[in-house]
Amino acid sequence: MQNKSSFSKTLTENAGFLFIVPWLIGFLVFKVYPFASSLYYSFTNYDLFTGITKTGLMNYQKIFTDSDIIRAFAVTFKYAIFDVPLKLIFALFIAYILNFKLKGVNFFRTAYYIPSILGGSIAIAILWRAIFNTDGLINTVLGFFGVAKINWMAGANSALLVIILLRVWQFGSAMVIFLAALKGVSQDLYEAASIDGAGKWTQFFKITVPIITPVIFYNLITQLCQAFQEFNSPYLVTKGGPNGATTLISLLIYNNAFLRHKMGMASAQAWILFIIVMTLTAVAFISQKKWVYYSDEDGR
Amino acid sequence: MKNMKRAAALAMASVTAISLVGCGGSSSTETTAAADTKAAGENGSAEGGNSGDISGDITFSWWGGDSRHEATEKAIEAFQTKYPSVTVSPEYGAWSGWEEKQSLNILGGNSADLMQINWNWIDSYSNNGTNFADLNQYADIIDLSQFPEDALAQCTVDGKLMAVPIAMTGRLFYWNKTTFDEVGCDIPTDEASLLEAGAKFKAYNEDYYPLALGEYDRAIFLVYYLESVYGKNWVENGELQYTEEEIQEGMDFITKLEENHVIPTIATIAGDMADSLDKNAKWINGVYAGIYEWDSSASKFQKAIVESTDKPNQEFVQGDFIKFGDYDGGFTKISMAFAISAKSEHPEAAAALMNYMLNDPEGIEIIGTERGIPCSAEALKVLDEKGLGNELVKAANAAVMAHNKFALDPKFEHNDLKANPDGVYYKVFSKLSAGDIDSAAAAKQLADGVNEVLGN
Repeated sequence: MQNKSSFSKTLTENAGFLFIVPWLIGFLVFKVYPFASSLYYSFTNYDLFTGITKTGLMNYQKIFTDSDIIRAFAVTFKYAIFDVPLKLIFALFIAYILNFKLKGVNFFRTAYYIPSILGGSIAIAILWRAIFNTDGLINTVLGFFGVAKINWMAGANSALLVIILLRVWQFGSAMVIFLAALKGVSQDLYEAASIDGAGKWTQFFKITVPIITPVIFYNLITQLCQAFQEFNSPYLVTKGGPNGATTLISLLIYNNAFLRHKMGMASAQAWILFIIVMTLTAVAFISQKKWVYYSDEDGR
Repeated sequence: MKNMKRAAALAMASVTAISLVGCGGSSSTETTAAADTKAAGENGSAEGGNSGDISGDITFSWWGGDSRHEATEKAIEAFQTKYPSVTVSPEYGAWSGWEEKQSLNILGGNSADLMQINWNWIDSYSNNGTNFADLNQYADIIDLSQFPEDALAQCTVDGKLMAVPIAMTGRLFYWNKTTFDEVGCDIPTDEASLLEAGAKFKAYNEDYYPLALGEYDRAIFLVYYLESVYGKNWVENGELQYTEEEIQEGMDFITKLEENHVIPTIATIAGDMADSLDKNAKWINGVYAGIYEWDSSASKFQKAIVESTDKPNQEFVQGDFIKFGDYDGGFTKISMAFAISAKSEHPEAAAALMNYMLNDPEGIEIIGTERGIPCSAEALKVLDEKGLGNELVKAANAAVMAHNKFALDPKFEHNDLKANPDGVYYKVFSKLSAGDIDSAAAAKQLADGVNEVLGN
């Protein structure tokens, strides 16, 4: 009887742990083990068809000396630097507009969210090509104003812009999170500010933005992680071209792993990418002391 | 408390980042695990040879376009009527992404029993004859006497016949005669007329070009040019036969074609944002008026311009081999082959299906020239007797087989060279076209890339 009660007590005390056991098993098997084994493979020349014949630092040496790989990392940085702020600003701007009591606002909220659901699909790739090819929609519109055709794929920057715009266009998920945060800002603050003579812009920058900084911070971290791992748009729209101008590091990892079966090199590149993302995330966390406002604590 | 919260948040962010970044690693491990499990759990059932038992459920995989799918499905249906104890499950799709998927299937032991493969897959994926069954063991089911010995030799590894060749192919020049007539230009036959065509097309309309060559097309065109000038195989006995200076001459020639408006730059073609040249609106509408293509691909290029919505019924003609030197440049290769998985539980049934499509008059009639002009003597006889197959493809195949006599090393199509977009061919020719490197650097990078693949 006593044993039963002791068992029951242990069970009750560890109920939380037991509930997460299924997740924990999945996490260990499908995340931690592959994660750890990829670290090992990164120090080998593991090829899916020939196996491991050599171990050492050769993959890392190549990553830091091969101009094409260095370029892919540089392009990925450039992509993230432009993509993340543009997407956040655009998502916040649209969320701010949709927070007003407008006629048909629910329709617009849904409409703006749809591109996020479509994600990286073949249909989107076809759409984007139809918009940006030399005889596409944009050049046709520019033609009406007498502007000469632009070959978007001729220059490295213009080609990168094509895939940046594709991701910025998919701002819906960030917008929904911003919208929820905006709804949480007390109307009293705006009323008090209005009485004190603050205009809309002042209210936005002095009240709205500071209060939603935790959400901006959350969106910044998630968008940063996603931008550094972006794969769909270069894979589907530009295939990494022209001349490697849109070869983001995730596309290079995919090509090494699944086109050329060089899992050792792909693992090493994935680890470098991981370290970059971790470092940037840590920097963002450290920086939040300076700019993120947590209202439930002592002001910061 | 505040620090604890932040520490917890940082930890969760780390886990999120690990989850997101760890994707590459997980894929490799899962695949390896799958391969190990399969290898441990199964032995190649083909080892025992032909038992004469043609029965069982088999799978058959191939890639291609709609017409090939339709013909092959009809052939499977007819085969199942002839062999009622065999059930065939088809697995097919377009080429895009097909090799990535199939290579992993072969590695994991999950490939179809019967596979349509590219010739270079034997070198890349047979794993020294362990992933594909030795078809010599099924010689009483597959009539191997119908195939040229040299073609069978090209499919043999360590004395094991890894695949049976379906068709041979080579590249030819094809032209949109309608556009050439509009421009008022003769079809090119040598270097001078090719350059003259560039000038006439430019004068007619800056957007028009007599010939369009993508990165991989340029690699093959370069070899054609060099073979025409120097009369040497590109690679022989595992050694690149050309010096960097000789390759540079070929690179300079390609640059000259761009500068003289004969071919558009790589950036121009990329700007069209088409998946391939046959789907490029500029080819479909006659803006690009020439290609250097495999004979087996001619019909899809022809169909594209004949069925153009904006400019229907344009005339597609096969051109002469352009003379660039004293020799007849160009190579032929096995375009594709059939292989049987070493892990197949019913290799006899797979062999019977293979033989049905390659050597059985009923199967030959259904398949026609959907996989190119067949290697099988019996198939050629049936096609000729019944007047079957695309006449354009047949004429082109006859021409290229008579003209192109240089040999092709299987490593020419190695993924490190041919992969789009980061194979050596793609990188070298796009950089050269963009002016990022000069012809000397392009020649060196190409030679280095080829030598690395050859293991030199």
